Amino acid sequence: MTSLLAIGLLLGSSVIIGVYGVRAARSTPDFLVASQQISPGWNAMAIAGEYVSAASVLGLAGLMLKNGVGSLWWAVGFTAGYVAVAALVAGPMRRSGAYTVPDFADYRLGSRAVRKLCAVIVLVIMWLYLIPQFKGAGVVLHLVSGTPYWVGVVLAGAVVSSSIAVGGMRAATYVQAFHYVVKLIFIAVPALVLLVRAGGEGRELVLRVDAGAWSRPLLDLHGSGQPLLATWSVLLATTLGAVGLPHVIMRFHTSATARIARRVAVWVIVLLGLFYLFPAVYGLLGRVFAPGLITEGHTDQVTVVLPGAMVPGVWGAVLTALVAAGAFAAFLSTSSGLLLALAGGLSHDLSRSSVPRLRLAVAAGALVAVGLSLPAERVDINVLVGWAFAVAASTFCPLLVLGIWWRGLTVPGAAAGLIAGVCAATGAALASVVTGPHPGWLTVLLAQPAAWTVPLAFAVMAGVSLLTRPPEWAERALLRLHIPQRAAGDG
Amino acid sequence: MRVLEGVRGVDAALRDGLYGRGTGRAVRRLRALLGAEVVVLTDLDGPVASAGPVGEGVREVLALAYEQGGPVQRGPWAAVPLLVAGELCGALVMRGGPEEALVPVGALVARSLDHAALGRARGRIAQADLRTLRAQISPHFLHNALAVIGARIRTEPERARELLHDFADYLRYSFASRGDYATVADELQAVQTYLELQRARFDDRMELMVRMAPDILAVAIPFLVIQPLVENAVRHGLEPKTGKGSISVSGFGEGPLCVIEVEDDGMGMDPEFAQGVLAGTGPPTRSVGLANVDRRLRAVYGAEYGLVIETAPGSGTKVVIRVPRFRRGVVAG
Repeated sequence: MTSLLAIGLLLGSSVIIGVYGVRAARSTPDFLVASQQISPGWNAMAIAGEYVSAASVLGLAGLMLKNGVGSLWWAVGFTAGYVAVAALVAGPMRRSGAYTVPDFADYRLGSRAVRKLCAVIVLVIMWLYLIPQFKGAGVVLHLVSGTPYWVGVVLAGAVVSSSIAVGGMRAATYVQAFHYVVKLIFIAVPALVLLVRAGGEGRELVLRVDAGAWSRPLLDLHGSGQPLLATWSVLLATTLGAVGLPHVIMRFHTSATARIARRVAVWVIVLLGLFYLFPAVYGLLGRVFAPGLITEGHTDQVTVVLPGAMVPGVWGAVLTALVAAGAFAAFLSTSSGLLLALAGGLSHDLSRSSVPRLRLAVAAGALVAVGLSLPAERVDINVLVGWAFAVAASTFCPLLVLGIWWRGLTVPGAAAGLIAGVCAATGAALASVVTGPHPGWLTVLLAQPAAWTVPLAFAVMAGVSLLTRPPEWAERALLRLHIPQRAAGDG
Repeated sequence: MRVLEGVRGVDAALRDGLYGRGTGRAVRRLRALLGAEVVVLTDLDGPVASAGPVGEGVREVLALAYEQGGPVQRGPWAAVPLLVAGELCGALVMRGGPEEALVPVGALVARSLDHAALGRARGRIAQADLRTLRAQISPHFLHNALAVIGARIRTEPERARELLHDFADYLRYSFASRGDYATVADELQAVQTYLELQRARFDDRMELMVRMAPDILAVAIPFLVIQPLVENAVRHGLEPKTGKGSISVSGFGEGPLCVIEVEDDGMGMDPEFAQGVLAGTGPPTRSVGLANVDRRLRAVYGAEYGLVIETAPGSGTKVVIRVPRFRRGVVAG
């Protein structure tokens, strides 16, 4: 009951911020303040708030519980992705003025076909990424109120799409920043309490469980016996996937200049690094205090179950409520961002755009995501997220990196690389769900395909580009991406 | 049906003209359409693109075709000159196809090329139109600003000096931006300067509210589109009204769109009158501001992105700009 109350309060307050607080009114003397850019700190917090998802909160802890210390590589990848973003993409992307990846494809290649292709891939990635969010909501609601899994999923879809329809359509920087703070506090405070509660002995026990793993911290996926390959594959997917995530790229548009965009990316790294400490705490504590979840196969529940298991009585319920609300915040903010990006692509690139259509697209997108989430109950949250990242890493990452840094990229090259990447990555992911267990390395290559799909996409894109002629404005387009605005001149 | 499809394919391939990207595709489609062994498209200097081997005799048949100005046959080659807008610009050369088809197909190719040339001309006209409209808006504002400052020079010299400073700032903005586009933040600066100049006239009668979501400040929009809307609100909404009035300027992102609203609680107008203003049939003083912005928005983004005016007599006016955040070629200079 406490948990439901906490979730309700959270939903209410974020709607209120969304409707009233975002665009604080200014009178004439403050006019110039209003026209100033949002500060890098707030912007970074908004990005982190949108990026830290149910996957990070529930999935990472669950994976720690299941696969041990090696799972921390996910957190490393999620965070390190922003190093790649800051170094390779943030600045030039800001200079291009492109708001989405399809926009960038349009800017750089001038091809409607590639633009449409990108929009379709945006849909694929966003849906793959929405499934684990909705799954997270279903799991949390099931745990705190005992409702069946599907009720949580459907409710989540309804809440997110209606909150967007009411007021969330305005990509609200401050709401996302608020959500980062909520997530951090609601996840961190219970984690610290539990750490204290575990006592000196408990903490030592926790570290001793994985004594061997700490000296060789690799990720052994499903006991496949290929830890090095699995680790590299996960790292590639998460690091390069962050570069290509459509809803993240939009956020850099808020920065005034390319310089500030890069500074924002650095701040994001700091904020994410701080946040990912805490899901790890739940996972590690869970290995000692809630080992039953592993045998039952409900590892994704560890974050919500653990406080109740360690602290009995009212305080346990309060801590559970905090964690549940934090997880719900994670789910809410990420999925509204995802759904908006999805609806934008659906209404803008794949049909003629207007406001009612955008609302319709939000509803349609949510409906499909809910429909896909219902059968996904038994699939690990982080595995699902991993696929979204793997697809992003094997499609948009090569497109952006080659598009920004290589003038030889051509329309056929980009199209071939995108198609190869999206087919290989989604195909492998589907194959790993549909077909049964495979021997060692094949499991890894199917479940974590980034290790081969990313190089494949890069190779196809570069190879086909070398065979064809780049568009004549490639040089000019590239120049604009790399020269500071004021020096760029006309044209 | 096959023939019609072929004709449409040739036309589509020649959309960029004789030197565009589709010329290679065009000759291949022409060869299929004519059922010929070899098809060559040439300009006045020689072959531009060919399907099949360009053997000996092409130069000779070309020279003959250009000399005679009509369809010719020489050896295995047949050629027909292409006349675009009455001027010779090249020829269609064929080997081993039906001779009687060459003349109509040549006319078809010439028409496609003419079409392509017209398309390019249309683009240039739109560009020139845009420049003219932009040139129109600035003097309008400059004149008003100078009139306001001039009226204060004797009574409030100190205030006039400040206003002149604002005015200088505005001029720098107006002259320094080299492209046709500016960011929303820059546009707000121009609005700020304008309102400083106007506030001098209204004293306490005008209240202003600005609410901008930070994420659209960096969006590029056509130069000077917000200021004319604010000016319209001041001059036609608040000026004729007695007592206090307020103006609110708000902006926010809406998915891939960027929305800017300028609202006043002034006199308002008849919706039909507003329609006339946008159509350019209203009184000339009003059509400079709103109609100009409307036309420029349509020229840049397409007809569906024009201004939207919500108004009724006595209940204020709201003018809404709704444009895509990104449009190819729209970059703040």
